[in-house]
Amino acid sequence: MDFIALVFHSFSLLLDPMNLAYVIMGFIIGTIFAAIPGLTATLAMALLLPLTYTLNVETALMASASIYMAGMYGGSITAITINIPGAPSSMMTALDGYPMQQQGNGAKALGHAALGSMFGGAVGTLLLIAVAPFVAELSLLVKTTGKFSLLAFAIVVVVIAQRGRIPQAGLAACIGLMLATVGLDAMEPITRFTFGYSDLTAGIDLMPVIIGTFAISEILIQASTHTNMAAVAAAAEKIKIRRRDFRPPLSEIRKIGFVCYFKSCLIGYFVGTLPGAGGSMGSLLAYTEAVRTSHEPETFGKGNPKGIAASESANNAVCGGAMVPMLTFGIPGDPITAIMLGVLIINGIQPGPQLMADQAGLIAPMLATLLFSAVVLIPLTLYLIGPYCIKIVSIRKDLLYGVIALLAVVGSYVSTYSTFQMFMALGMGVLTFYLRRNGFPVITMLLGYILGPNLEEFLRRSLALSNGDPMTFLTNPDSLFFVVLTLIFVYFLAIRKPAKKPVTGQSE
Amino acid sequence: MIFNRQPLFLYFTLAVSVGYFITALSLGAPVSESGLTPSFFPILLGGVAIVFASVLIVQKLRAEHDGPGPSEPRIYTHLWVVVAIFVYIVAFKPLGYFISSSLFVFALLLLFSSFEKLLQKAVISVVIVGIAYVMFQQLFGVRLPTPWG
Repeated sequence: MDFIALVFHSFSLLLDPMNLAYVIMGFIIGTIFAAIPGLTATLAMALLLPLTYTLNVETALMASASIYMAGMYGGSITAITINIPGAPSSMMTALDGYPMQQQGNGAKALGHAALGSMFGGAVGTLLLIAVAPFVAELSLLVKTTGKFSLLAFAIVVVVIAQRGRIPQAGLAACIGLMLATVGLDAMEPITRFTFGYSDLTAGIDLMPVIIGTFAISEILIQASTHTNMAAVAAAAEKIKIRRRDFRPPLSEIRKIGFVCYFKSCLIGYFVGTLPGAGGSMGSLLAYTEAVRTSHEPETFGKGNPKGIAASESANNAVCGGAMVPMLTFGIPGDPITAIMLGVLIINGIQPGPQLMADQAGLIAPMLATLLFSAVVLIPLTLYLIGPYCIKIVSIRKDLLYGVIALLAVVGSYVSTYSTFQMFMALGMGVLTFYLRRNGFPVITMLLGYILGPNLEEFLRRSLALSNGDPMTFLTNPDSLFFVVLTLIFVYFLAIRKPAKKPVTGQSE
Repeated sequence: MIFNRQPLFLYFTLAVSVGYFITALSLGAPVSESGLTPSFFPILLGGVAIVFASVLIVQKLRAEHDGPGPSEPRIYTHLWVVVAIFVYIVAFKPLGYFISSSLFVFALLLLFSSFEKLLQKAVISVVIVGIAYVMFQQLFGVRLPTPWG
């Protein structure tokens, strides 16, 4: 209860003009990056990460939270208006949003998306605020062997969640883990894989990994593909959106029903707690469930607002869910929470079970911002800049990527004032580019890199404590719990055949 | 692009995994009397990576046996972007932030558009670099290099 009170007390921090300015700026940047096809809120976070050096942690986390919420919502703008989801999490929104746009109801569809996002974001955050303290207390019961099994569980889940490309995901996770082993050993004074370079003794820094993985690789991907931005901009120019059409009629909201909104939120929230699942899986499952339980499934894909509501409620509820493992165990649920974890690490704060107890004062304002972004900024942004939002896709590609490249490369210099980190960012960018081009999921590499040091340390400590007996992972109850959980997930995600895809009115 | 032909990239990942595994072996015995040594985890990891890379190569070879995949039009702009970033990093400290960044942004503007309106693009580059300077140095207090040290 103390933590819940602290979160609500933290709303007063938003009255500080500087904090509020960063939160609003973060939300607008997140919305713009999510709305432009090819850019993501993750990229926005990666570019802004170097700047967190100069901000206080509280403000940096608040700005990150608003970017996160905006990122989940912003993708729906272009998904609905021009049928190009700005973010992968809005793919399902396009299925019904774009037909509504074609029927002349684009503004109403945007209103439904904002309402769903608002509801999903708020419920996901409230669940997070209510649940996280208890999970944090439970996490304190997990001992060394249990911690190893938990981290192994996270890596296994993120790999097997990539159905259809599990070997690629496994190899990507190995590459991430390999990167994490570079530098001084955590338990003995021995350097590994430094090949004589003193710059590598401290290991590969988080900053160039994030900037290379998300910013530089994106620039290379965009440079290697032909996106007809002129056609996108021309399509956007034709669209006229009026503010007064944004409000969805009460009769439609009633028809969608509270149950649909709430169920989608719960689906999104629980999917968010799984490492690597993310907003796209949350919205897909919620959409599938909405179609399955509907009396008129044939209307989905033809402009049914319920499809938009389910998809958007779920992907914004993912924000709350993904923060549970990040705050309680230091395991990021998706790329954005991985970067948020980076903000904590850069500022010398150790994520993990003690975080909620020791740094509640830092975490509470971030959660308050998440709620504020969902309830206040989503509708406000739609109302104030909604009619103009669609025009942002007309921004010139050369300017866009020129600016992003400059911010990314100079940003990687900021952490240590060394060009070595810039080269590292370039190297990571090139590596990630080829991984992406060849169908390797990048999130598994990132998770391997982030969790690698602890995974190795807990493995060695566990075996040292048990005199080398590997049965310790089965005889300790906390470890056994995660081993069993891993087996259950392996069965459901990798062995059991997947459920059939929903039948909607829209053809492939 | 050579690495975009997946088998080549997969052979590269296999070579890296084997190299990593051999380097890990050179760190010493994986287990000692006091428990696991710093080489244990890398050896395990290298071994797993070799297995995954091998599985992917076999899968790819089988798929190719069934018939070639669709060919994509080849675009090499990303290679020039890599070269531009590399040269920018090399020139960053000797030339200072302003000159190196202006040339870098100008190069990217050309790579992402066309070799037209060069003066306009040069002016835009300088403006972008100026705005970024204000943001980094003035707003966030980051010290950026100058040619005079």
